[in-house]
Amino acid sequence: MAISRPLLELSGLSKRYPNGTQALDAVTLRVAAGELVALLGPNGSGKSTLLRCAVRLVEPDAGRVRVGGVELTGLSGAALRQARTQVALIFQQARLVRRRSALRNVATGALAHHRGLRTALGWLPPTELLRAAELLDRVGLAEVAAQRADTLSGGQAQRTAIARALAQRPAVLLADEPVASLDPEAAASTMALLRELADSERLAVLCALHQPALAGEFADRVVVLNRGRVVYDRPASDADPEALSGPQTGAG
Amino acid sequence: MTPRAGRLVPRRLTLRWLVPRRLALRWLAGLAALLVLGQALVVARVDPSALVAGLGGVLRLVADGLPPDPAALPVAGMAVLQTVDIALVATVAATLLAIPLGAAAARPLTVGRYLSAPIRAVAAFLRAIPDLVWALVFVAAVGLGPFAGVLALTVHSAGMLVRLFAESIEEMDTGPADALLTAGATRAQVFSHAVLPELLPTFGSLALYRLEQNVRASLVLGFVGAGGIGFQLLSAMEEFQYRSASMLLIVLFALVTVFELVSAWARGRIR
Repeated sequence: MAISRPLLELSGLSKRYPNGTQALDAVTLRVAAGELVALLGPNGSGKSTLLRCAVRLVEPDAGRVRVGGVELTGLSGAALRQARTQVALIFQQARLVRRRSALRNVATGALAHHRGLRTALGWLPPTELLRAAELLDRVGLAEVAAQRADTLSGGQAQRTAIARALAQRPAVLLADEPVASLDPEAAASTMALLRELADSERLAVLCALHQPALAGEFADRVVVLNRGRVVYDRPASDADPEALSGPQTGAG
Repeated sequence: MTPRAGRLVPRRLTLRWLVPRRLALRWLAGLAALLVLGQALVVARVDPSALVAGLGGVLRLVADGLPPDPAALPVAGMAVLQTVDIALVATVAATLLAIPLGAAAARPLTVGRYLSAPIRAVAAFLRAIPDLVWALVFVAAVGLGPFAGVLALTVHSAGMLVRLFAESIEEMDTGPADALLTAGATRAQVFSHAVLPELLPTFGSLALYRLEQNVRASLVLGFVGAGGIGFQLLSAMEEFQYRSASMLLIVLFALVTVFELVSAWARGRIR
């Protein structure tokens, strides 16, 4: 195999919602290992749908999702669960279990690797708790490990969610507006963390964003969606600010 | 059927919508309501004069019951303990049954998505039949005594709790559950690691409320021979021991009041 780490290949993805909205119209997109791709576009352009189709939280009508050469579309049951561990999805809200500690929240990311009766009944393997502590340290949150999730700040919660995503040992990290509800400082440090993970862990990162400035600062490549189609796809270095901000304000 | 999305305002919003258009229909509806109520009064044989005539009997009963007989206290103490214990065992059993069944019946979680409808139907049947009727059934099955009461309250409560637990699962924020599901966790893992920790206080509070209701229900179980203080009350009345009966009533009142206070306090503490 030419590629050492899996990469994300979306080809011809289409999705039409029951109300008639064509959310995705034959979207083809590839993200290489170690690459951070920013996904821009106005509200309703299909960014969220694209990310949700990539983990099959939303079922695409047509097209294929391949992760490291393994096709996700068409899988079900145990095979789908196995394939899903390769792709981690981070949401706008951290979506932590509020009444559990940050540490236990992170460890639950690894549940797919530990089937069986004990984990089904609420048990977490000690090895995963140790690893969760390391991951929290990695995202700079070692000191809040024992704190209940509902006591964390927005930035801390999102970092905990990223640590939980890492606990599932993914090759691909998808992020759906991960910084949209954070203050500018927390947003920048969260983006810096994603950048760092792409570089050091060789993760393929696809990140939907609202602010073109963040895309220019942290991404390798910028992809713009409009009405479910890719209308722009270029390296972030030669992106001209007009082209980036144009579709944002134009259709919004 | 194609529902039109996005239309919040009727196309022709005219003054006609604000004026009652079918006045005659409203009068007819009012008349029908009066007729229904009228026949109910007749069929139920509502007779205020009988109440007035019977008032003397009630007063005599109260007078015969005073003062309460302290000699009935030891018997009442044991019976109270049995009453509470019937409710306690039944509530714990019903809660343990209802957690997995409620999870299986809850739709968005789709823990066993084919089981949802049948479980809901069975739960609806269990709670539709009053606990007193279940007590009659179980007295016939396992004989007179408190165990029949335990079974009756367990079955009825499980029917109630399955529905309440399933509803609270359906109303919860699915964010954490979705996050684990997309990470490849199994449904059972999602339930025990995301749903249960979030909802444990809710389940606990519902179970406590159910315990409170079960204590009250187990008071009357004795009337059909299914254990508890109701049996002592019934025999005291039948033997015209009105002073013993009034003692039992006072103990009952104290029991229910204390229980409601403790339960309300505990439910307020759960977070």
